[in-house]
Amino acid sequence: MAVETPHTTEEKKTLPLLRTEELLLNLGPQHPSTHGVLKVILTLEGEKVVKSEPILGFLHRGVEKIAETVTYNQFIPHTDRLDYVCAMYNNFAYVRAVEKILNISVPERAEYLRTIVAEVQRIIGHLFWLGTQALDIGAMTVFFFTFRDREVLLDLFEELCGARLTTSWYRVGGVERDFTQKFIDDLSRFIESFHTKIEEYDTLLVNNRIWLARTKDIAVISGEDAVAYGLSGSVLRGSGVDYDLRKVSPYGAYDKVEWSVPLGTKGDTYDRYWVRMEELKESTKIIRQCLAQLPEGEYKAYLPQVVAPPKERVFTDMESMIYQFKLYTDGFKVPEGDVYCGTEAHKGELGFYIVSQGGGKPYRLKIRAPSFIHMGAFDFMAKGYMIADVITIFGTYDIVMGECDR
Amino acid sequence: MNKLFHSAFFTEILKALRMVFGHYFVKEVTLQYPHEKNTLPDTHRGALCLLRYESGEERCVGCDLCNAACPSYCITVVSAVEENDHVVRRFATSFDIDMTKCVFCGFCVEACPVNALGMTKMYEYSTSNKRDLVFDKAKLYEIGEKWHGQAKGYLIAHNQEGEDETVSEYRYRFPSSRKQEEEQKEEVEAQVDG
Amino acid sequence: MSSVGKQSTAPGAVKNMVEITIDGNIVTAEEGSSLFNAVKWTGVELPAMCYHYSFSPFGSCGLCLVEVEGKKNNVRACTAKVIEGMVVRTGTDEMVEARKGAVEKHLTTHPLDCPVCDKDGQCELQDMAYDLEVYDIKEAKRKEIPEDTRSIVLDFNMERCILCGQCINVCKEVQLVDALCFYKKDKQKHVGAHGGETLYCEFCGDCLAVCPVGAIVSKFSKYTFKPWQLKKTETTCSFCSDGCTITLETSDRDIQVVTSELSYTSKFGYEVEPGEGHGGICVRGRFGFDYVMSKDRLSKPLSRENGSLQPTAWFTALMQIGKQLNDIKTTYGPQAIAGLVSGRCTNESVYLFQRLMRSVLKTNNIDTAARYGHMNSVHAMQTALKIGKATITYEQLALSDAIFMVGSNLTETNPIAALRPKASMTEYGGQLFVADTSKTNILNLATHPLQIALDSETDLIQALVKVVIEKDLADPDFIEKYPKAYENMKSAAAALSQTALSEKTALEWGKIEETAEALANSKRGVLLWGEGIVSKPDAYENVLRLIDLALLCGLFRKEGAGVLPVCEENNEQGAVDMGGVPEFLPGQIDFLSQSDRERFSSTWHAALPEPGQETSGFTLPEIIEAAHRGEIKALYLVGENPLGTLPAEMKVREALEKVDLIICQDPFLTETGEMADYVLPAAVFAENEGTYTNMAGAVNRVSEAFDPRGEARPDWKIFTDLSKHLGHPIQYRSVEEIHDEIAKMVPGYYQADPPKPQPEAYLDAQFISHISGRYAATKPPQDAETEIHLSMEQVLYHSGKLTTRDKGLMKIYNKSVLLMSEADAETLGGLITGDPVHIQSELGQLEVKIEVSPNLPKGLVQFPIHFNDPPVKDLLKVEVDPLTKVIYFKKGVVTLERPASVDLRVLPMETPPETIQQEAQETPSEEDTEVS
Repeated sequence: MAVETPHTTEEKKTLPLLRTEELLLNLGPQHPSTHGVLKVILTLEGEKVVKSEPILGFLHRGVEKIAETVTYNQFIPHTDRLDYVCAMYNNFAYVRAVEKILNISVPERAEYLRTIVAEVQRIIGHLFWLGTQALDIGAMTVFFFTFRDREVLLDLFEELCGARLTTSWYRVGGVERDFTQKFIDDLSRFIESFHTKIEEYDTLLVNNRIWLARTKDIAVISGEDAVAYGLSGSVLRGSGVDYDLRKVSPYGAYDKVEWSVPLGTKGDTYDRYWVRMEELKESTKIIRQCLAQLPEGEYKAYLPQVVAPPKERVFTDMESMIYQFKLYTDGFKVPEGDVYCGTEAHKGELGFYIVSQGGGKPYRLKIRAPSFIHMGAFDFMAKGYMIADVITIFGTYDIVMGECDR
Repeated sequence: MNKLFHSAFFTEILKALRMVFGHYFVKEVTLQYPHEKNTLPDTHRGALCLLRYESGEERCVGCDLCNAACPSYCITVVSAVEENDHVVRRFATSFDIDMTKCVFCGFCVEACPVNALGMTKMYEYSTSNKRDLVFDKAKLYEIGEKWHGQAKGYLIAHNQEGEDETVSEYRYRFPSSRKQEEEQKEEVEAQVDG
Repeated sequence: MSSVGKQSTAPGAVKNMVEITIDGNIVTAEEGSSLFNAVKWTGVELPAMCYHYSFSPFGSCGLCLVEVEGKKNNVRACTAKVIEGMVVRTGTDEMVEARKGAVEKHLTTHPLDCPVCDKDGQCELQDMAYDLEVYDIKEAKRKEIPEDTRSIVLDFNMERCILCGQCINVCKEVQLVDALCFYKKDKQKHVGAHGGETLYCEFCGDCLAVCPVGAIVSKFSKYTFKPWQLKKTETTCSFCSDGCTITLETSDRDIQVVTSELSYTSKFGYEVEPGEGHGGICVRGRFGFDYVMSKDRLSKPLSRENGSLQPTAWFTALMQIGKQLNDIKTTYGPQAIAGLVSGRCTNESVYLFQRLMRSVLKTNNIDTAARYGHMNSVHAMQTALKIGKATITYEQLALSDAIFMVGSNLTETNPIAALRPKASMTEYGGQLFVADTSKTNILNLATHPLQIALDSETDLIQALVKVVIEKDLADPDFIEKYPKAYENMKSAAAALSQTALSEKTALEWGKIEETAEALANSKRGVLLWGEGIVSKPDAYENVLRLIDLALLCGLFRKEGAGVLPVCEENNEQGAVDMGGVPEFLPGQIDFLSQSDRERFSSTWHAALPEPGQETSGFTLPEIIEAAHRGEIKALYLVGENPLGTLPAEMKVREALEKVDLIICQDPFLTETGEMADYVLPAAVFAENEGTYTNMAGAVNRVSEAFDPRGEARPDWKIFTDLSKHLGHPIQYRSVEEIHDEIAKMVPGYYQADPPKPQPEAYLDAQFISHISGRYAATKPPQDAETEIHLSMEQVLYHSGKLTTRDKGLMKIYNKSVLLMSEADAETLGGLITGDPVHIQSELGQLEVKIEVSPNLPKGLVQFPIHFNDPPVKDLLKVEVDPLTKVIYFKKGVVTLERPASVDLRVLPMETPPETIQQEAQETPSEEDTEVS
């Protein structure tokens, strides 16, 4: 592209013409702020981004193909490794899809347990996002504060299911293990004190001029464009589109508690930040109400053909022994058909599309990963901004490559 | 005016600094690993181990259900027939878990129909030789003996076993063999005759 | 035998179709057939545990319950018969509950054996309990029955048994063995041998295959596998010429179990076409897999250094072999090189071997195991009919209405093919005529058993021909087309004396007439002959006589009728078809046919060896002879072991000592291998790709289940590698390419249709003039009263020498004993089973233990051909057929004597003789295993 130079015609004669051209810059896949192994080929005009082309697939593990070779239950640990910082959501979205194709429902207590843990996971996810986003922009302190609080919640997860990240706690027909009183107490204590933590983050960021400069009016996307690009979750709501699956098609116990959907106005990075901070508060609200309403009952559905029998019965009952073997070898039989089920994860709409031809293994499984969909809007949103903003834009999607590349 | 004041004197930065320095007087949350270690809950999914009955008999019968349940197929079981005490038994001649493949999901423990597998809180077994990370039967039993309490705790915490040791009530046992029975009878008869 | 379960009526039978209502739909079904099938056809899946298509419904499990209008109680659909106007409901809630109850009943007494049970994962009880959602059973009571582990092959775990009776029914109705039954012991119902004895039967293992739970378990793979651990490979069995499709279930490089189509999972095969087999396999196929994993397998090539065989590298061995072969070829000429290929190699291996020998080494001295007998059938059929293989399929054999079987102990040699004549009798109402000298299994089962005198097969066939001609039953088509041949036959047959024939065969004339009439009047008659014809002198003529008989009965003209020559090894037929004999190029094309020679030489890019003055190439006996004369300098043995197979009279050892270079390519180190200069480890069938041709001419696929053990290689790889060292590389990238070349060079070989016979030879004057000679009266036997005939017989549990290396089969049968008739044992002074006897012929003598058998006629003793210890085969005189060059060493005359030193041990009175038998057989087996 020819760019006019300020030189006079005389100077033009004496000085050689400055060669100006677009600069191709490979960002990543080893760049630390690309949240994994994302590569973006940036076309720069000076410092301005003219075009950006995300190259995906460095973390591709063929998870969707693996799903075709394992039983429905065996795939649960594989879902842990999609969005590896928020495994609970992947579990949740997956088991919901399987339950939908099986056309089964879970006990009420299980629905509450699932909702509580999902919201805890949302807090963890947002804290993780906040820490890393701030870190990417240059504010290191926030990272320490958010990770301090995330640790507490991860310890709770470990208390609950034995692992901090690769949880595999959700099961088809319920959850793996009930809450203990200790878990409930610890969680309540955390929830009660969490607003002070949020205040701390706000102290660090909300008026910070650098933060504001780096986020305000950066990567603006209008509501219409956001919908057109298929964006979801906080990214969509940051643009003022009131779409939250938890409200639109409620699941779990979301329709039994009071909460609201925070919406941004401008659709810039700051609005998305603001939406997420508000969601932290909403999540605490949901958790608090759920814990208060937590009904008594079973945490697993009574569905012998789907849910493995309790272990004590396996030792004493012939039929339980048989079901144990049938379920762990062949898996439960899923009727022929296909189903799509979307769940509102903290990143956006995490959907599973399952095609079953009958039998114990999916014929085809497709994951609608929000990170992947969001990367589709990257070029649109990065166009015209500075190269330094590119990192901010990665961050604003809350991208995790494990989920994006699958 | 106020805005100008704030921007001139970096008030928001100072506020933040005050908050951050205030944390000098808060109890630190960081653990100085390896000098300090976190206490792990009973549910912790650590290294796998094999367990024995209280009589010292191996629980594992080599049914390979753990391998069938494993999402990463990291368990290899080879079973064989063993004949002693007039009972024909099935037992695992080799039981290998490839810890490099293991995803610590605990499905094998859930699947095990005799509760032969347990998970311990053991997580420090890094090695310079990758081959050492294939735990064989001997190693798994060794871990099981060393961390028996942890493994039991895991099973109880994950609803795999009742806390009130009802384990002895297992209905499962190997049938005795008729050949052996008759041989025994013959022996007895021979003794009587003699 | 009634068989409502099986949709199996003789072809052409009229079915009476009636209308019934099932779940509101009007359906037409055959009257009197099983209601279960009628329901199945409507698409309703009725659960059933005791049902199997291969036998009649039994109705023990109580799962296929339906509601029939007008009946108070629920009806078991399998045993209920279709009656006009029935109104049936299948899916009502009560029915579902009733079915659940039936499963619950079984579960209440079932032990919690799933973790250890071998059937877990493919257990029908598991499937039923899961599918019907049987849960929350209130009461449970364990049966507490000890496991019956007395049998050497099968363990019976009656705790797991659901008493469905499938094992008993398949044994009784399909195998016609009837070894199993229900019996009561300690107030509990058991399944086992009659009277609760230790089971010793044919061990076909069909009971194991149909058992829906883990009540019957194979000892050879007990507690060693779970189904999900195993990789399944469908391949073809490598033992007899039946060519059964088997499934190798392997983990790593170990075969854990061998299964077949017959199983509880394929039980609803009511769609099976009439005549299709039941899908089972025999004892050899099912339990004879251990030799594949044997430690005795060769793992490295061996070469002779300083007098002993030393391991060497493949490259070195092949390079040296190539160099030495080339040297011999240039020094002594290609005639000094000979090769023998086993009848167990795949078609592709044989094809490649003969290509290597003919196009690279330029020699036509190649031969195969078919020279022990089957070549007689091939030659005779080629001469008379222009085809060299069976003209019928197994299906046609099963649907036949009259089968004449001579000289074949089919149930022992080919147990699965033998099920076809059995089915023809029991299922399709056919007649079975079995002519044999001893009371074989199939003879006892036959509708028309014809026990004939020793060595009177010729007379019997002559008599049958005579009857057909004299009763004017001959096929008018044959008379019209070949009047001269018919006239010759007629005049020759007229000269035969009826009384003499009747006397010689020791059969009443009426029985012979009955047989001949049945054959001549049959619609789908089948003639079947085996080694009792082809491995005895005069075999070529006997086969021609049988062909005459078939022609006279019109068997080659009628649809579904024909002849079936039985051969021994799994791919004998294929080895001949692939040109593994000097007479034929691939496709049984005459080696001297100029146009075909050109066709092959242009494909192979090499000239074929020119036929010599006397012969076009040496056959097996000629190779041995030439080796004696010192004319053979190099001998390439592919899976052949002449030293172990041929009797001492052939002086094989002396012959081989004169050969400069012996290359032995075998999975094991054989006797011949020990003499060889190079021993190349070959892959076994489970490690090979390719095809086998069974005795009916069908080509079956062989698939690789795992890589060869050690450094063993598949034959085709060895041949291609060797050809490089010989300077004429034959290049194939895979077996598939060889396969394609065969398909190109032998058009139509892989097509399933049996070939059409062309009996044009019967127009040939020269051929016709031979006919009269065929119907001359045979010489009367000498000293018929005192003479004792020794016959080498095949045993059900073994196949060739190969299976003697199989631990499992040796455990089942390791009796190297002389079978003797009661009369002979009495003559020798009241010998009983287990006693030693002196056996003597002109060639030597040895001592062998005897077993008294009620099935043998006087004057006949039998010894299993599989065992060389004691070397009974060396007592036999060898005769070589002048025309077909087949070596006869199946039968001979011996004298028996009671040994001088009589064993004076006192036998305890109460011990039954069987116990002694077992003791006697166990001792050598242990020694054997130790030595090997």
